[in-house]
Amino acid sequence: MTPIQLVFLFVAFATLWAAFMVVTRNNLVHAALFLVIALFGVAVLFVMLEAGFLAVIQVLVYIGAIAILMIFAVMLTRGDVDDIPDITNRYAGWVGLVAVLFFSSLVILMAQWPSFTALAKPILSSRDTIVELGTALVSPNGYVIPFEVASVMLLAALIGALVVARPRKGK
Amino acid sequence: MQIETALLIEWVVKSTILIFALLTGFAYTTFYERRLLALIQVRIGPNRTGPFGFLQPAADGLKLIFKEELIPANAYKFVFILAPILTVIPALIIMAVVPWGGAIELFGRQIALGLTDINVAILYLLSVASISVYGIVLAGWSSDNKYAMMGGLRSSAQMLSYELSLGLAFVVPILLAGSMSLNQIIEAQRGVWFIFYQPIAALVFYIAMLAEVNRAPFDMPEAEQELTAGYHTEYSGMKFSLFFMGEYMKMIAVSAIFATLFLGGYRGPFVDTYPLLGPLYLFLKVFLSLGLMIWIRATLPRLRYDRLMAFGWKILLPLSILNVFVTAVIIVVFGL
Amino acid sequence: MRFSALKRDERAGYEGHIVPASSLLEVAKALRDEDGFDLLSSVTAVDYLTDNEEEESFFEVVYHLYKSTGGGAEVLRVQVPRENPVVPSLVELYPGADFQEREAWDLMGIKFEGHPDLRRILMWEGFAGHPLRKDWKEVYFEEEAKPFGNRWPGGQVYRVEDQNPYGKNNQYPDGFDPESWVETEDPLLYENLEKAAREYTEDIDTEQVVVNLGPQHPSTHGVFRMAVRLDGETIVALKPVMGYLHRNHEKIGERNTYIMNMPFTDRLDYLASMSNNFGYALAVEKLMGDKVAPPERAEYLRVIMAELTRISNHLWAIGFLLNDLGAFFTPALYAIEERELILDIFEATAGSRMMCNYFRFGGVARDLPAGILPRMKDLVNERLPRKIDELDLYLSENELVRSRGEGVGIITPEDAIAFSATGPVLRASGVPYDIRRADPYSIYDRFKFDVAVRYHGDVYDRYMIRVDEMRQSLRILKQALKDLPEGEILTGHNPYQVRVPAGEAYGRVEGPKGELGYYIVSNGKPSPWRYHVRAPSFINLTILEKMCVGQKVADVVVNLGSIDIVLGEVDR
Repeated sequence: MTPIQLVFLFVAFATLWAAFMVVTRNNLVHAALFLVIALFGVAVLFVMLEAGFLAVIQVLVYIGAIAILMIFAVMLTRGDVDDIPDITNRYAGWVGLVAVLFFSSLVILMAQWPSFTALAKPILSSRDTIVELGTALVSPNGYVIPFEVASVMLLAALIGALVVARPRKGK
Repeated sequence: MQIETALLIEWVVKSTILIFALLTGFAYTTFYERRLLALIQVRIGPNRTGPFGFLQPAADGLKLIFKEELIPANAYKFVFILAPILTVIPALIIMAVVPWGGAIELFGRQIALGLTDINVAILYLLSVASISVYGIVLAGWSSDNKYAMMGGLRSSAQMLSYELSLGLAFVVPILLAGSMSLNQIIEAQRGVWFIFYQPIAALVFYIAMLAEVNRAPFDMPEAEQELTAGYHTEYSGMKFSLFFMGEYMKMIAVSAIFATLFLGGYRGPFVDTYPLLGPLYLFLKVFLSLGLMIWIRATLPRLRYDRLMAFGWKILLPLSILNVFVTAVIIVVFGL
Repeated sequence: MRFSALKRDERAGYEGHIVPASSLLEVAKALRDEDGFDLLSSVTAVDYLTDNEEEESFFEVVYHLYKSTGGGAEVLRVQVPRENPVVPSLVELYPGADFQEREAWDLMGIKFEGHPDLRRILMWEGFAGHPLRKDWKEVYFEEEAKPFGNRWPGGQVYRVEDQNPYGKNNQYPDGFDPESWVETEDPLLYENLEKAAREYTEDIDTEQVVVNLGPQHPSTHGVFRMAVRLDGETIVALKPVMGYLHRNHEKIGERNTYIMNMPFTDRLDYLASMSNNFGYALAVEKLMGDKVAPPERAEYLRVIMAELTRISNHLWAIGFLLNDLGAFFTPALYAIEERELILDIFEATAGSRMMCNYFRFGGVARDLPAGILPRMKDLVNERLPRKIDELDLYLSENELVRSRGEGVGIITPEDAIAFSATGPVLRASGVPYDIRRADPYSIYDRFKFDVAVRYHGDVYDRYMIRVDEMRQSLRILKQALKDLPEGEILTGHNPYQVRVPAGEAYGRVEGPKGELGYYIVSNGKPSPWRYHVRAPSFINLTILEKMCVGQKVADVVVNLGSIDIVLGEVDR
């Protein structure tokens, strides 16, 4: 095993462990902090795939913005900070079963998909990965439509948030 | 494998130098701030410890180490201890992508002065900046103190808001240099510094970075007049000094970044012939930028919190968006 | 007077009218609405306790009413029996009576019927009794009046508590256990805070937080506490809590002889000791009559010192207001530099920089030392005008100062008068009421100066009015220094003890912080029977809650800074 593989195994296990801790902790703050670790593990995996851009975006967006919002929400809802005595309810067993079934069928389905086992073509090293990515996102032959649709959706969400938060007059 | 080992040693040595420089820099920035503030405020400042008071930071550090560390009874202990650590780490690692000079020849190897040169350096800076808010939020929340809580909330809201303008101010040098690598941005300023092309972006960047490191007039989270000491009200001893360490190292880091993006980084006269001049020029620029920060602190009153948010969202953000837009249009139209 | 209920006070040395408690409200309303006595300057109580079987013991509540357009006082008195002292509260008519009535309840035990929040104000909850009552004895009580007898008679040391029937005299109210008492659990205060907060509603249901700003807080200017209810960063209700520095100044003053109180007044507003001396000297001189009329030179020196005090006080106030705005000490230190030069003059003349103890009944204690006059002239004519212009230039137009000060903490002129605000706080609201002009004392009627007025009543105007007032003070100083005559500085000799005829007097001056009044009742003995200080810092705080509600946390600090309080005077 090469050192890189060792690192990969360590990071992958840490990520999975942290993710497991997120759903099993009975303290919301702990869960949120474990979520940060899990997200960070994913960022490290991106680095190991030489996807530096995705790695920093992962940190910037997920850790720097989304996780902090979650921690905010936890902090501001007082009373929920104490340990929750029991994190399962009576449907826990059924839900677990459904999750396991769903996950295994996904794995089976994907294993049959040829691209899953094939190695990706290495990116031409002569060109900057970021340039590649940028071009792909806005070129008509690339992903311009999903990109634009996503941005319109985000705009709609922004406006929606504004409407919800706006103080109502005359009340 | 031989080269790998040499590379590893090079990295370790450079990281050590960088951390050491930041820690010394932190200590002497406090001293610099105290002396310069005193000079501005018709006082003398610390001048008793060592020649010209040069040992004052050491004395301060020693005192803080021996201080009793108190943890409030109702504090959330784990997070309370974690928070100062989370404050210092981003401040330490953010400098990793900032080059301190060109390449030099040493032991028959080309050694670049700078820890690493990655093609997403600017995004790296932004992401590290975005996680530095954790320390403050968690400190404010875990202290079980209303002042600390309000300080934590204020600062996180403030940092999130100003990060947008900061990010947009980052975009302008990227557009001008056509790269996100800091080395190439410095190269692009070989002729004229970007501050002359883009004074507005530089101004926006400087303001946003003051807000990002919570310096006056944006020192809302620790607004002494209202919130006693804000998020670190309950901290004492070394934990307290870690917060200060984080703040001052971030001051140095953002100054270095500002110098890199807008003031030509390590570049200066004769730097191509004598690459070792590079760190010196960078030091000089950082020194001046820190001086400006201290000057601002000595001069301006604090903005009120709601006005600060309004300023960030209603003035700074539209201004920087407009600036990016205009710059992009000019670059496209004139094909620069 | 139109009211049949009113009776002229015919005791020798007294003025004003006696009103029965039942018709007080009616009389006060008529005085306010018809006669224009809209400024309730002082409310206090006197304990006329007598051992004489033939005379009756009673409490007297004394009200000093003025017109905000100027002129003399209308003094109302309400006499109530000592057994059940109940007086109707004037808070409805004059909100400014709020704290003063609480003080009278706290220290004298007068119940004010209809007062919305009658709690102790200066004493703490574990205090037994009402200390200004004449039959109240303090812990380790020694004697009724100073100078106390020898504690070492015949070389023998004895303990006071072993010698008198009161012993240590350490008491607590019934059901009070000092060991288990927790200060922050003050149910009455928080109940009142909640009551005030109930009027405030938001359409989104949010949780309000109670924050105690102080008593240990960097910007309360001392040990002062503001219990605040917050909705986010917005103030919903605010209650000032004070008395942490309380030393029962008035009780000590009633044990002291008259002259002993002179250095004691220095400790009230320790930033303006000369003004404190001035007010006290005026009050006692009023009682003593013309035989202690100060000579000409002394009058000039008094005015010079009082105006220098005003400048030094305003420099301090402006400097620290800027600090409250978040400027990191630079304006404060620049202002203090000038203040130090003024203190140099005080030191040279009075011997002390801050605790000056300079005034005497009938003059001042010391003449100017040789060589100080040119320095004063240089300071007043050259340096201070330049430095004040400099402050004005750098601060007044500063964008941040303007945006933080304009429209913040607005007091309307009506409110300012109703809440008995005085001094710069009143004048910044557009009421040109300055005692130096409205009811001139000493020789102020000889000088040319304008009463500085500003009209918005916000923090920025309260800052600007101080700049204006410093300029006017400089005008007075220039004239006074030019005309300063030679001659005596004290009528008669400097006495160890003065003889003060029986009677009462209310002497007031325009202190740097507002109307500083001394109400003194003498019964001919060497110590005053009643010694009351109308402290401007204390009474100006009455309006603080009204100023702050609806504003942000950061504004509270600025509002407080713009009132300019000194805790030595608030708590007394």
